Amino acid sequence: MSILEVRDLKKIYTSRFGTQQVEALRRVSFSVERGEYVAVMGESGSGKTTLLNLLAALDRPTSGTVLLDGVDTSAIPEKDAAAYRRDHLGFVFQEFNLLDTFTLEDNVYLPLVLAGMGHAELEQRLRPLAEKLGISGLLKKYPYEVSGGQKQRAAVARALITGPKLLLADEPTGALDSRSTDELLSLFARVNREGQTIVMVTHSVKAASHATRVLFIRDGEVFHQLYRGKDSNEQLYQKISDTLTVLATGGDLG
Amino acid sequence: MKTGFYLRLALDGMKKNRRLYLPYLLTCTGMVMMFYILYSLAYSPVVREMRGGAVMAMILLLGTVVIAVFALLFLLYTNSFLARRRNREFGLYNVLGMNKRNLGRILLWETLLSALVSILGGLAGGLLFAKLAELFLLHMSGCEVGYALRVEPRSIAAAFLFFGAIFALLLLVSLARVGISRPLDLLKSEAAGEKPPRANWVFALAGVLVLGGAYYLAVSIQAPLTALSLFFVAVLMVILATYLLFIAGSVTLCRLLQKNKKYYYRSAHFVSVSSMAFRMKRNGAGLASICILATMVLVMLSSTSCLYFGGEDALRSECPYDVSFSLLYPSAEACSPEDGERLSALAHELTGGRERDLTAALLSGTSGYFEDGTLILDEFSRFVDLTSTAAELDRVRSVFFLPLEDYERLTGREVSLAPGEALVWASKGTYGYGGFTVPGCRTLRVAGTLAEAPLRFSASDTLVVAYCFVIPDWQAYTAELKSAVDALEDPLISMEILQVCNFDLPGVGDEEQIRMTEEIGLAMTDGKEDGGWVSLSSKTRAADRSDFFSMYGSLFFLGVILSIVFVAAAALIIYYKQLSEGYEDQRRFGIMQKVGMTRVEIRSAVDSQVLTVFFAPLLLAGVHLAFAFPFVQKIVRLFGVTNTRLLILTNVLCFLAFALFYVFVYRGTARAYYAIVSEGEG
Repeated sequence: MSILEVRDLKKIYTSRFGTQQVEALRRVSFSVERGEYVAVMGESGSGKTTLLNLLAALDRPTSGTVLLDGVDTSAIPEKDAAAYRRDHLGFVFQEFNLLDTFTLEDNVYLPLVLAGMGHAELEQRLRPLAEKLGISGLLKKYPYEVSGGQKQRAAVARALITGPKLLLADEPTGALDSRSTDELLSLFARVNREGQTIVMVTHSVKAASHATRVLFIRDGEVFHQLYRGKDSNEQLYQKISDTLTVLATGGDLG
Repeated sequence: MKTGFYLRLALDGMKKNRRLYLPYLLTCTGMVMMFYILYSLAYSPVVREMRGGAVMAMILLLGTVVIAVFALLFLLYTNSFLARRRNREFGLYNVLGMNKRNLGRILLWETLLSALVSILGGLAGGLLFAKLAELFLLHMSGCEVGYALRVEPRSIAAAFLFFGAIFALLLLVSLARVGISRPLDLLKSEAAGEKPPRANWVFALAGVLVLGGAYYLAVSIQAPLTALSLFFVAVLMVILATYLLFIAGSVTLCRLLQKNKKYYYRSAHFVSVSSMAFRMKRNGAGLASICILATMVLVMLSSTSCLYFGGEDALRSECPYDVSFSLLYPSAEACSPEDGERLSALAHELTGGRERDLTAALLSGTSGYFEDGTLILDEFSRFVDLTSTAAELDRVRSVFFLPLEDYERLTGREVSLAPGEALVWASKGTYGYGGFTVPGCRTLRVAGTLAEAPLRFSASDTLVVAYCFVIPDWQAYTAELKSAVDALEDPLISMEILQVCNFDLPGVGDEEQIRMTEEIGLAMTDGKEDGGWVSLSSKTRAADRSDFFSMYGSLFFLGVILSIVFVAAAALIIYYKQLSEGYEDQRRFGIMQKVGMTRVEIRSAVDSQVLTVFFAPLLLAGVHLAFAFPFVQKIVRLFGVTNTRLLILTNVLCFLAFALFYVFVYRGTARAYYAIVSEGEG
């Protein structure tokens, strides 16, 4: 059964005085099954980030619906949206978005503390997760003391500690060196194998080649999609590259 | 053409950063203005020529020096704040190919422009308001005022030179800062990773201890004479403690709260406490400065206004009679009761019989170090230098001797005292000994105590505890005492033998009182024969009144002017603090929203921090004020104002007025803060 269902999503940005309208998403429909690892690809300006913001209920669609586990996120009132995000979604961002006033440990705890969880349970939840992500030894450090890859792993821990239905990642490897990128991608793959549903927005072919399915967005519409099937990462990488070439030259894959 | 280019860059930079530059220029302008006003008043012929003008000029000059020193420190501080914000821009210029010399030219233009605007603006404002200030000052001092407007070239030159020098110094500091920096550092300086604040237990504890010590010192000071030096120590300790507490104490407290996991890991405290630690690390010094400035303003305003409004009280205690005469005798033998009778008769005659409460008496007096009923004359001088401790000074006594006949005449009471017996009155407490001895003189046996003073002593007579002995064999005892004093041959130890004649003149105008006093004095000197008294002195409350109010009026005036300057400075620090926090919180706001905090949650977390940061200095300033109260009370009493209720009232009113102003500034600057923060939202 699908955990995420996107139907005819449309988003039009209007400039402040209403004189100009920009259509960021025209008509996007797709669904994500439980346990899937979906990469969304597209050029800058193709509407990727808008899509992610709509999925996260950070923004409201002009029309269309986003159903997360059967719940229409656009119907959640503004004041409950933050709590909903906190409880059901996990986020990983390109620029980590760790609070520099917190240690890594406290950064990971943040969503749980906001949800009102007691300290004993916090520790219980963190220990196995930190082990898995390889940040056990770094928990007492501050963001400025650790490397980009380590920061990103802490951010992943923060996203996963609530046990979210869906992990949303926005260009998670964008600020990482190649070694950290590999580490993070294999981490995502592992988490996904353990059952975590992931939707990742990226324009890195390498990042996308780890996914089980790749969606291509162009001009505000889902233009094409690739299934991994039995392909290895390298084979998928090749297919994605080919698709992007076609996209870039303006062809039509039908 | 090239010059125009750098000028344009400088102008452009200032315009782009007008949020920072406008208040800075306003403050500079204000400083120049206040400096000019005080300086021109201090050298104003109007002030110099008025009664008590010399004292007033001195007080005003002192105020000018305070403003000058403060302006220097404060402009250095604000300039460094501005420079931090501009570093990025300079880094960019540097990367784009400008060398340090070019950057220096931009800085030169910037400084020139700021100097020009603030000095010219300040002088214009100064010229405009100097007259107003003069009218205000003269009115407060109870003088007639003229309305001629003057331009003081000397004060203009002084303001130009002084502030020109300050701006030159600021330029040098900025140039040095750019000179030692590297371009990439300039670019990155704002984004540099910040080390987490560490709890500094030693400093935090030291802060608490020093503050406790300072408070104890301020409260335990007893003798107002020694208090000045001690209080100065207490003030320095309070300043030190305030900085320690705000910088180290606050961070330590946050760390302590973070260690308490049950408290810390709650949604209401989690974000607030952790960001508070960072906030305090950055703002501790600024907050401590605000707290100190606020305390200074409060102490200054409440004490000077109390002096001003309690001035009439002070005048009455310093001049207990409308008119006082005293004849000075070289020895007890030279005294003659006829002098007193003649003076009284003249007073009656020349005032047209309008004198009341006429008090004529012989009075002798000296002072010394008092212990167990013994007054030690020759050790006295040892106790009145700056090294004297409060305990030592507390043992200094003034003693007066009044003949029994005069006492009986003044009170209309009949008392029988044997030779060697005395009645005693104490200005404070009771005289707890059976006898009184001055080495070298016979011992007086205390036969009784007096609840009321036989005549009104002035405040300066009772600055230290004073005793007045009523004795039957006055002339003999005074002679003995005089020879004991003379035998010491110490110019610091003296004795006075006086015929006093005091009276009130109800319903007689000030000018007429002064005239009558002069007439009586002249008539008394006219008929003076050889021998007898050597000098006549007179004091009228009416004449002293203008001296008093020129002093209290100018103190109050200075209090108001300095308060305005300090308050403006505090407001600017607050404003800059809000701005810099706004820029830092902008990013954090966005993250918190993405991680799942609602706007309301964020807003309430930020509100609680901003409020704490904002009102902590005010609160601590209030506590400082409360602990300074006993001392201020004593100092104000030293000036002759003993009205405690008035002092409490001025303290409370000043605090309320200041708090109101503070809230006003808060609301104004909070708006700037939220405007910046919400730029980063969405």
